[in-house]
Amino acid sequence: MSLLRGLVVQSEVVHAVFMRETRTRFGQYRMGYLWAIADPAIVILTIAGFFALVNRAAPYGMDIYSFIATGIIPYKLFASSAQQVGESVNGNRALLFYPRVLPIDLALARGLFELATYAAVFIVLMGLHGLYFQQLVVDEALYVIAGLTLASLLGTATGLVFCAIGVMSRTADRARGPLLRPLFWISGIFFTVDALPAHVRPLAGLNPVIHCAELVRSGWFVSYEDTYVDTSYVCLWILGLSVLGLILERHVRRKIEVA
Amino acid sequence: MIRLENITKVYKTKRGRHTVLDDVSFEVPLGTSLGIMGRNGAGKSTLLRIIGGAEMPSSGTVTRGSRVSFPIGFSGAFHGSLTGEENCRFAARIYGQEMKRVVRETRDFADIGDYFYNPVGTYSTGMRARLAFGLSMSIDFDVYLVDEVTAVGDRRFKKKCSVALKKRAEFGSLIVISHSVGTLRQLCDKCAVLDQGKLTVYDTVDAANEVYAA
Repeated sequence: MSLLRGLVVQSEVVHAVFMRETRTRFGQYRMGYLWAIADPAIVILTIAGFFALVNRAAPYGMDIYSFIATGIIPYKLFASSAQQVGESVNGNRALLFYPRVLPIDLALARGLFELATYAAVFIVLMGLHGLYFQQLVVDEALYVIAGLTLASLLGTATGLVFCAIGVMSRTADRARGPLLRPLFWISGIFFTVDALPAHVRPLAGLNPVIHCAELVRSGWFVSYEDTYVDTSYVCLWILGLSVLGLILERHVRRKIEVA
Repeated sequence: MIRLENITKVYKTKRGRHTVLDDVSFEVPLGTSLGIMGRNGAGKSTLLRIIGGAEMPSSGTVTRGSRVSFPIGFSGAFHGSLTGEENCRFAARIYGQEMKRVVRETRDFADIGDYFYNPVGTYSTGMRARLAFGLSMSIDFDVYLVDEVTAVGDRRFKKKCSVALKKRAEFGSLIVISHSVGTLRQLCDKCAVLDQGKLTVYDTVDAANEVYAA
């Protein structure tokens, strides 16, 4: 099979799994896909509401709602991609019954699905906010897009590694949650890198997820700059995790059993 | 054309390594059909999945010179919360086939009435098999992998299935697993026996059956 033909087949399969995912995930509930958006919206509204109640202001003249949203959406996009891609093979094993469907297709389809969902979440939540205040100013839209894309790639690459490990050992699979959860507190949802003491900043910057949040915020707010963003550092993580994930996938490929 | 060269499949179990297929080689040119006999658990279905590419052999190579189907007769790939129609759309999409045609042909072949538009989870085993068989007949393949499909369905449906399969066998190939000598005689030119991981091909179904029954 030629490379081009292979790409066509792969995109057909990824498209099919993607469409199926929209039906199986939300299809059986009322209002279906709306839940994909409602779920993170509730988290954001809860946290933003709490911060507003205790009168905690956001830095640099950002409003508290946008501040929390621009932090939590990149984080959720990353974490959710890692989680969903991580479970893609164990959760959709039955599909491997079709020889055309490869484990990597299941992973890619889920990664794209999460990206599409959170892009929609971002547009809807920020759009509603703009409508409510009759004002919508975006500093650098490309930075926002870049930040979300990097978060998505980072999450998908992480998920790829989790996915292979999950096939190898159910026990190691258990470690996924405890590994991801602390990131919620250190990925810049509640603070900007700028607000940290100078000696902590390099340490906080070791976490690649925080760069995505910083990038989105610097693109969204006119008053905030991308001083502490290092995109090549994030890309290095993505590259490293992808290579590791693909090597592991080759290793476990023969072990996946289609019961 | 399908060619298997030195296929070995080993499963690790708690009680050591278990060799299911041991150095299996054979070739099925397009236009001829092969039957496979063997005891329960002999590894027939595993062999079929390896031919199709759903599972990887531990060593050896499979060469596929044509479009090979998924194993027919098994319906585990249907999602219970999706309707029969939605499951068909999915299969049509992954094989790059025209969705409307696949849906229409599967619906007509399966002949399960309005159930076609209900979730597959509500189907009986027979209905699932009807859907699975109808779906595989409506997608264009050159080689059809048939896993004991004649074991399901009522007499009329069985008849319909074997007519459909015979038609496919004229231009393409069938690789058929069955315990029924009658079915194999109807559909296949050559026949193989799988025993203790070793596969031996015989020129006629009767020759294979003599060895198998002995």
